[in-house]
This record gives sequence, C-alpha cells and structure tokens, in this order.
Amino acid sequence: MQLRSPRADIVALALLVGLGGIFAVYFILPFAGLGERAISDGRVWELTRSSEVRAALVLSLWTSVLATLLAIVLGTPIAYWLSRSSFPGRSIVDALIDLPIVLPPTVAGVALLTAFGTRGLVGEPLDELTGIRFTFTSTAVVMAQLLVAAPFYVRAARAGFTSVDPQLERVAYTLGASRVETFVRITLPQARAALTAGIVLCWARAMGELGATLIFAGSLEGKTRTMPLAIVDAFERTSLGLSGAVSLSIILLVVAAVVLVFFRAVTPDDRGSAWR
Amino acid sequence: MALSFDARLHLGGFDYEAAFDADDEIVVLFGHSGAGKSVTLQLIAGLLRPDTGRIANDGRVFFDSASSTNLRPQDRHVGYVVQELALFPHLSVAENVMFGMDGPRSERQRRASALLERFDLGGFEDRAPRSLSGGQRQRVALARALGREVPLLLLDEPFSALDDSLRRTLRSELLRVRREFGLTVLFVTHDLREAHLLADRLAIFDQGRILQFGPREEVFRRPVSRRVAELTGVANVLPGVVVARNDEHIQVDVSGLRLHARTSEAIGVGQRVEVMIRAERINLRRVEEAMPNVVAAEIRDEHAYGAGHTLWFRPLGDGPELEVDLPSRPYEVLDVASRKRWTLELPPEDLHVVAAD
Repeated sequence: MQLRSPRADIVALALLVGLGGIFAVYFILPFAGLGERAISDGRVWELTRSSEVRAALVLSLWTSVLATLLAIVLGTPIAYWLSRSSFPGRSIVDALIDLPIVLPPTVAGVALLTAFGTRGLVGEPLDELTGIRFTFTSTAVVMAQLLVAAPFYVRAARAGFTSVDPQLERVAYTLGASRVETFVRITLPQARAALTAGIVLCWARAMGELGATLIFAGSLEGKTRTMPLAIVDAFERTSLGLSGAVSLSIILLVVAAVVLVFFRAVTPDDRGSAWR
Repeated sequence: MALSFDARLHLGGFDYEAAFDADDEIVVLFGHSGAGKSVTLQLIAGLLRPDTGRIANDGRVFFDSASSTNLRPQDRHVGYVVQELALFPHLSVAENVMFGMDGPRSERQRRASALLERFDLGGFEDRAPRSLSGGQRQRVALARALGREVPLLLLDEPFSALDDSLRRTLRSELLRVRREFGLTVLFVTHDLREAHLLADRLAIFDQGRILQFGPREEVFRRPVSRRVAELTGVANVLPGVVVARNDEHIQVDVSGLRLHARTSEAIGVGQRVEVMIRAERINLRRVEEAMPNVVAAEIRDEHAYGAGHTLWFRPLGDGPELEVDLPSRPYEVLDVASRKRWTLELPPEDLHVVAAD
C-alpha cells in the first residue's frame, strides 16, 4: 500500500477550502442582500408597521402554532404506535405519512380541494347538511399547514420513540407503572430531543407553507393571507413592491431565528438522550 | 411452594413448554441463548403471555388459562432485572429506586436511601446512573427491583456484562441479599461456573424445553442424557453396550474396554448406553495395578490454563479416548510434563450410566 503523498494532502485541503468556501459564500450572500436592502431602503421599516403586514404576521403565527399543536396531538399516538409495532402493510402506512413531504405543496392543495372543497368528497355533503365551508377561511389555512407539515413531526417523533429502548418500558411495567404512566415518565423524557426537533421542523414548515394554502384557502387579507402569501402579493401590487417583500422577509427571518435559539436553549443535548 | 410454573407457548418458529417450581432458594435457569430461559422470566413477569398453563406465586395466581386469569405485569409484584439493567437514564439513582414505590415522596425517599444503604450505595442518591461504575449500576438495578418489596426476583443474565472479579463480588452479594430479604430468585445464565456457584436447584434448558431439573449436585453428577451432559460440561460421554448386570452392578463395554459401574436405572444386558465421567474425576497412575476400570493411554495433546491442565489421552490398546483435567499441583508432583504414558483409572462411583437416546 502506498502512503498518501504530501501533495495529495495539499490537493485535498485545497478542495475542502475551495468548495467549502464557495458553499459558505453562497449561503451568506442572500442574507447579506436582505440586510443591505433593509438598511438602504427606508420604506422597509415603515412597512413593517403597516396593518397589512401586522395582519399577515398574526395570522401566520396563530395558524402555524395551531397546526403544530394539532400535529402533536394527532401525530404522537401514531408515531408511538409505528415505533412499537410491526404488522403487514406497515411500510405502506409509513409511506402514506411520508408522502406529503415529497409531494409538491400545490398538489396537496388540489387534493385538499377535492376532499374538503365546496364540491369535494366530504366538503359537498358537509356544505349541504350544515352550511359549513372550509375554503377561503382561516380553518383552511390550518388544514393546509397540517397536511403539509405534520409528517415532519410524525417522522421525527417516530424516530425518537424507536430510539427509546423498549426494555426500559418493560421494566417500568414490572415496577407497577401503567402504560400511560410509563409513556409520560419514561418514554417521553427519553424522546424529548427528537420530539423538540420534530416540533421545530413542523412549525417551520407550517410557517413557510405557500402552495397548498394558496390553492385551498386563497389569499384573502386578514383571513388567509399568511406571511409567505403576503410576500407573493407584495410583488404583484405596486403599493408594497420589493420593499414590502423585504420587510416581510426580515420579520420572518427574525421570528425563525428567535424560535431556533429558544428551542436550542430548552433542548437537552445528546448526552441527555443517549445512555449506554 | 413459592413459585409454581407450567406454561406452553408458540412464538413464530419457537416451541416452548416448561414446568418447574421454586421455593426460598436460587433456581438457576441454564442453557444456551435461545433455549427459552429469558422467555421463562418474561412469562413470569407478565411481559409474555403463555398459550396455556398456570403460573402462581405464594398462592397468588398470575396466569391460569383454565380460569382465564392473566395479571398485568404491573400487578404481579415481581422484581425483574435484565442484562442491560435498563436504568432510567434521565432519573437520579434515588428516583430510579423510588420508581416502583408507593406512598408520599418523603417516605419513598427515606426507603430508597435505606435500600441504597444496604447495597453499599449510601450517598449516591443524587447521582446520574451513567456516572456510576458497572458494579454500582448493577446494585442500583437490584435495589430498584426490590423497591416494591417483592417476594420473587427474576434476574436475566445480570452479571454477564461485568468483569470476573466484579462478578464474584456481586454473586456473594446476591447470596447475602437473597437471605436477608427471604427471596425466591430465578437466575438466568449461560455461564456454567456461575450456575454451579449460585444454584440451589438447576433447570437445564434446551430448545424451549427443560431437559433436567433438580438439586445442583444431582444435575451436575447425574445428567439424564447425553445432551444434558454436554451442556453441563461433562467432557467424557462414552457410548457403550451393557454386557453384564447383577443388581445395581453393571458392566459396560466401551470401545473394547470393560467398565464396572453402578446404576439404579432399568438398563438390561445388550442395551446401548452412554457412560459419563467428568474430566476432573479420572485418576492418573504411574503403574498398572490389577484393578477394574483402568486403561493404559498416552497423552495425545494437552493445554494449560490458569488453575490446571487439560490432557487428551489416546488408548494404547482397546478403549475410548479420554479427556482429563488435572490441577497444577498434582500435575507437577506427578511430573506429567516428562512422561507420555499413563494408566487412567475411572472410579466406578464416578461413572454415570444412562440409556442411549
């Protein structure tokens, strides 16, 4: 076997620095552009205080938080069940849950319309019987976000639960803890890091949801026009323009950064979740 | 009788059927992995459900297929310790021990401390399990299992991951704890020496069945079959044919060598048998004397281990190949190293004869 020559080492180092550098610059430049605009364009700060922006922010925050809470409530039992059982067709269930992750969001929007739209599978009889309509309501925004974002939580939670040694739960049973008690006192704390990561991913995806919301919920100011939709809208209307899009983007960036820092702070590091 | 156990179970391709009992003693469940030892503990703990059978401890019925009784593991009150220990990593040592206890927190804390004290872990209450040594973790797992004041302790290879000296300490600690708490202990192991050291009674598991169950010495000295002999480390299992019988005296032809032995089994002349003798039961003699059960043989191979030597003998005339264990001292006194040819004596009282399968 031939030892690597010093020259090969230098080439490898050059590649690492070169490619890594290009990648880093590519990542930093867009944010630099955003920052430069925010500083040079006086209208940006003015617009962040406009009622339109405020309405979009409030709508985005509460819908994405609600969608995330629904994902946790509805998704946790399924995630736990998938982590602990094996049955024929399990991979199909797994695939169904993962589907919205790889599906273009616009397709999810169309699919939601065909199910819950006024002439949809469930939507039409529901409309006739009760007069309840989902389309073009804030409910539709939450539904679109839930469909697109919940799989991110379920995936992470399933992986988190799978990594918890079932032996811990079995021993807890023999120590007198019921299944629910064991889940709360043993399984949940063990999976906390994974669950937190899933919650952040799910919320971020819900916050950024655009395609499905646009098709299923539309873009009605104050009702269904979330931050991403407001950014699109800003381009189409002359009143806000690029300055409006930049101010909306800056707000989203700040919110995202705050959430990220917060969850980093409350999440235990790996030492807490893995033990041998 | 404290524990009575009788269960049958089909698990995929695994077919399990076993019955035994246990009193205030240590019953060792011995066998290779996959023999059904751990399954037995899980059936008792309620983590697996038998197809049919009856499991009861001190008159409390855990499972009875006849009356459709099946207590949850939570309600069985048995201590269960697994090889990986399964300490709860996010809880402190004291919280682990308190986990199974009932009552107000201060009371549980007091009891946990008292229990930890008995396991020589006083002052470790607030430590995290991962900050402890292997032996300390082991003792925390035992203390946690005993936290509910259980009458029955199930130990699934609890010492397998530890080094030898630590295992010795923990074994004697287990014997002490068993006495102090008056426990029935079921101890699963695949380690022959551990089985020998701890067992009051011994159950030999193989392929989902108990091949033999009885007092330790009985099982070690009188295996009921070739398979049990192999599993319990009987080095010499010699096929032969009965050539004479007079009351309990029996003569067996083994590869042309006539061996005298005693048996109370119903074995007749002409029947095929297995003659068993442990490697450490064979005597080495320098000169051939006129006595029964001797064979002239030479050393074919030998192997030294810490406490002694294992010698493999090839017969000079008729007779079987034999394996002999000799402690270091007699090995040196006899000067085995400089002499190849020996007379081997197989004492009749150390020969055990069973009918061949």
